[in-house]
Amino acid sequence: MSANDQADPTDLTPLSPAFFHILLSLGEGERHGYALKREISLRTGGKLKLGPGVLYGSINKMVELGLIEESEARPDAHLDDERRRYYRITSYGRKVAQAEAARMRELVQLAKAKFGVPKHA
Amino acid sequence: MPDEPFSLRLYRRLLKLYPAGFRENYGEALERQLRDELNESSSAAALGRLWIHLIADLAISVPLQLSREVRQDTKYTRRLWARRPWHTGFAILALAIGIGANTGVFSVVNALLLRSLPFQDPARLASLRNFFPPHDSTAQFHAWRGQSTYLADTALFETLDVNLGGGGEWRRAHVAQAASNFFSVLGTQPILGRGFLPGDDVDGVGWGSPGRNAVAVIGYGLWQALFGGDRKALGSTVRIDGTPLTVIGIAPPGFDYPGKAVLWKPAAFSPGNNGWEVIARLKPGITWPQARQAFATEADRLWPDRTPLQKIQFPSRITELRDALAGPTKNASLVLMSCVVLILLIACTNVANLLMARTADRATELSIRSALGASRARLLQQLLTECLLLSMVASITGLVVAFWATSVAAKFQPSALASQVYSILDSRVLCFALAASVLSGLLFGILPSLYAGRVLTPGTRGSTGNRSSRLIREALVAAQVMVTIVLLAASISLGRAFANLMRIDRGFDWTGLVTVNVSLEGTTHSLGNRRLAYFQEALDRIRRLPGVRNASETEFLPIYATGFIGGPFGLDGRPARQNSMLVPIFPDYFRTMGARILRGREFTAAEVQGNAKVAVVNELFAIEFGSPADALGRKVTIGNDPPLKIVGVVKAMDYMTDGANSSQIFVPAQSPGGFFSTFVARVDGRAQDRLAMIRTAVQSVDPQVPVFGVKTMEQRLSDVLARPQFCRTAVLCFAVFALLLAVIGIYGIVSYAVAQRTHEMGVRMALGTTPSQLRINLLRQGLIPIMAGAIPGIVGAVLSGWLLESLVHGAKSVNATGYVASVLSIALIAAIGIWIATRPIARLDISEILRTE
Repeated sequence: MSANDQADPTDLTPLSPAFFHILLSLGEGERHGYALKREISLRTGGKLKLGPGVLYGSINKMVELGLIEESEARPDAHLDDERRRYYRITSYGRKVAQAEAARMRELVQLAKAKFGVPKHA
Repeated sequence: MPDEPFSLRLYRRLLKLYPAGFRENYGEALERQLRDELNESSSAAALGRLWIHLIADLAISVPLQLSREVRQDTKYTRRLWARRPWHTGFAILALAIGIGANTGVFSVVNALLLRSLPFQDPARLASLRNFFPPHDSTAQFHAWRGQSTYLADTALFETLDVNLGGGGEWRRAHVAQAASNFFSVLGTQPILGRGFLPGDDVDGVGWGSPGRNAVAVIGYGLWQALFGGDRKALGSTVRIDGTPLTVIGIAPPGFDYPGKAVLWKPAAFSPGNNGWEVIARLKPGITWPQARQAFATEADRLWPDRTPLQKIQFPSRITELRDALAGPTKNASLVLMSCVVLILLIACTNVANLLMARTADRATELSIRSALGASRARLLQQLLTECLLLSMVASITGLVVAFWATSVAAKFQPSALASQVYSILDSRVLCFALAASVLSGLLFGILPSLYAGRVLTPGTRGSTGNRSSRLIREALVAAQVMVTIVLLAASISLGRAFANLMRIDRGFDWTGLVTVNVSLEGTTHSLGNRRLAYFQEALDRIRRLPGVRNASETEFLPIYATGFIGGPFGLDGRPARQNSMLVPIFPDYFRTMGARILRGREFTAAEVQGNAKVAVVNELFAIEFGSPADALGRKVTIGNDPPLKIVGVVKAMDYMTDGANSSQIFVPAQSPGGFFSTFVARVDGRAQDRLAMIRTAVQSVDPQVPVFGVKTMEQRLSDVLARPQFCRTAVLCFAVFALLLAVIGIYGIVSYAVAQRTHEMGVRMALGTTPSQLRINLLRQGLIPIMAGAIPGIVGAVLSGWLLESLVHGAKSVNATGYVASVLSIALIAAIGIWIATRPIARLDISEILRTE
């Protein structure tokens, strides 16, 4: 259990879109940087394209905050370049992602009550 | 690798823009990601899009990562500083003084030599000194200026202090009368109304003639003060010394040439007026050397009878107007600039020593961080950030020093124009301060960074302890000690000279005296008996004031004489060998001034009113012809004038600042200095507190007579002594700073030695040596460079003492006791520094040291 597990996850919300998308992707399993980039780009229909500097800047900060950590595990060596670095979500990171999702749900409910939300924007 | 794509190689170079920590952690990953991206960008268009993205990405992420690491390093540096507050304080102080002095002196250089003058193309404007073009009449002058082969145009002007009235107010003001082309030569046009036109200047005397000549362009400040900036000022009347002038134009803001003038009128030319000053604009295409040559030829042609001696005494010169305005301050400020740059370099060297000692102290910590993964570049970046932070904090503190330095410079040598005022709030000066700060940071950061590099190189123990570098540092400290002793001795000599100046018997009591200037020129009191009535009325009002003991009036004040009349007078027809000064005064003058009458008495009111042919002489005049007692009753002869009977002999009063008294002859006058007169009043209590009251009393006699120069005699004395006081303060400051640098230097060396030899000391302590013995040993070694500097320092101080004795009146060399005291004080201060630097020895833990080995 890390020290961050004691911290209130809402302290870090609202998260930046880049942080939230990285957590979403890592929620599905370990990823290396380029895989994260591609997945986020696909998920957002190309609207959020993280350049290498911004991506690794975010990763750096998220590691520092304890949201994610570097993974030692490697896929089968001949399937991947061993110079790639893999990341996984921490339990604290999961809680923060949940807190962010809850915050968004409240916002969506509020918006629904005010204006109604169309099925397809 | 030669087969790598160009994009990858370029990107690798661009990655160097990231701070070291980030680069080391993610450099490879970033590169890997680019390879992936490149694999997907097969076409040229896709590659182009990729690069646009990459550049945008770098533009966002590089500053972000930089600021993150700088924040981290700053936090770390703050912790380090808190651990060694004295160390940090010394370094900041030395740099603050160094950078501050540089910024201060640069602000003077900037004001005088770099900032633009409020004229069009000022680099082509010239000042012609000791040169009188034909100027007996307007026609003669304008004909001459039209025929020049090297000057596009030339103008004459002269400046005067006048009583200026306008808008119902009267004031004392500095004005200029100038040839009609004055504004066009400078390329300045009034912002309202017009300048002078050809024909506005005339032939005549004094303030010229009514009509076209009786017009004026007024300064922007005067326009605001008299007319509140109203356009209706054009066509209004102002008076200078009673002469009415019609305002025809308003000068632009900031224009106050020459000499902070507030009003300009067209000149009146008369034969024999040699008070003109000359400015000119060079013809297009004429270079300065060509102009100088043509000017020299013309000066010889216009003034062929000049003797070689006259040529040396009054050399005709054409100089750039900017240089003429800067005067001797230009060279002085450039010399001073080189001195303070040198001082900053020495300060940087010493701070570098200090930081190197600290880096040595942190060798273990740096090695551990390095072992934990921090790269060499990351650690060096941290050290450099520390250095830059140090210099930034020092620069901000230095601005206080710079502000003080500029205010002292402004008092010592005020600028000629408002646009040349010395200020640190100038973009160029602030950029200079920033550049000085960054450069110093880099400069003193190099040595500790190099050292840290060695610490982090595998296989070395971080020892730079080669003998030669230690010797260089010790020699530097010795040189600083030498300079400190020379400067300390000089400041003591100058301090004594200054104390003598303050203590000197000036022949009168300068405490408790209030002085007030008036000029009756152009007022309703300027004629005949009206002057006497005005002075008597003003004196009556002053004397009635509470706290005023005596009051009188004179043309010239001691020390602060603004004019001089006199000549080779005689006694009973026998001419005196030396010139005497003639001072017209009112009754009660000597009592008011606190002068000492040695024989006889001072003038009575009846003698003043009756223009009696009497005189009071000073003892120097009397002694030339015998004793003071013999002089009474004899007659002073002044040319063919009726002789004056001597009724009193006074102790010589200091009319000159340097204490070189001359013979003085005082005469009774109904209107001493109607053109420029001074009331003096002896008061009880603080003279400063009586200024306003006496000013009001004089002003109340007639508000149309401007009252100015309301000062205590002490203030006048301090004005006059500002220059020697400045020299004394400057030398003392330099001496204290040199001492501080020397102490920092020796402190740095000893701290470094302690950090370097921790292991050796541990072993020695294990073998029985006590910490105190080790510290005493280091103290002895540390004092060697101090003593090595002290010997040439004393020799230098003796030589400079002789030089000062010959240059400065009243300066006396320091005696042997003084030198010994100086050396002992320096040694004592250095010993305290060394003792503090060796404090860590007392805390050494032998078992810890031996275990680490």
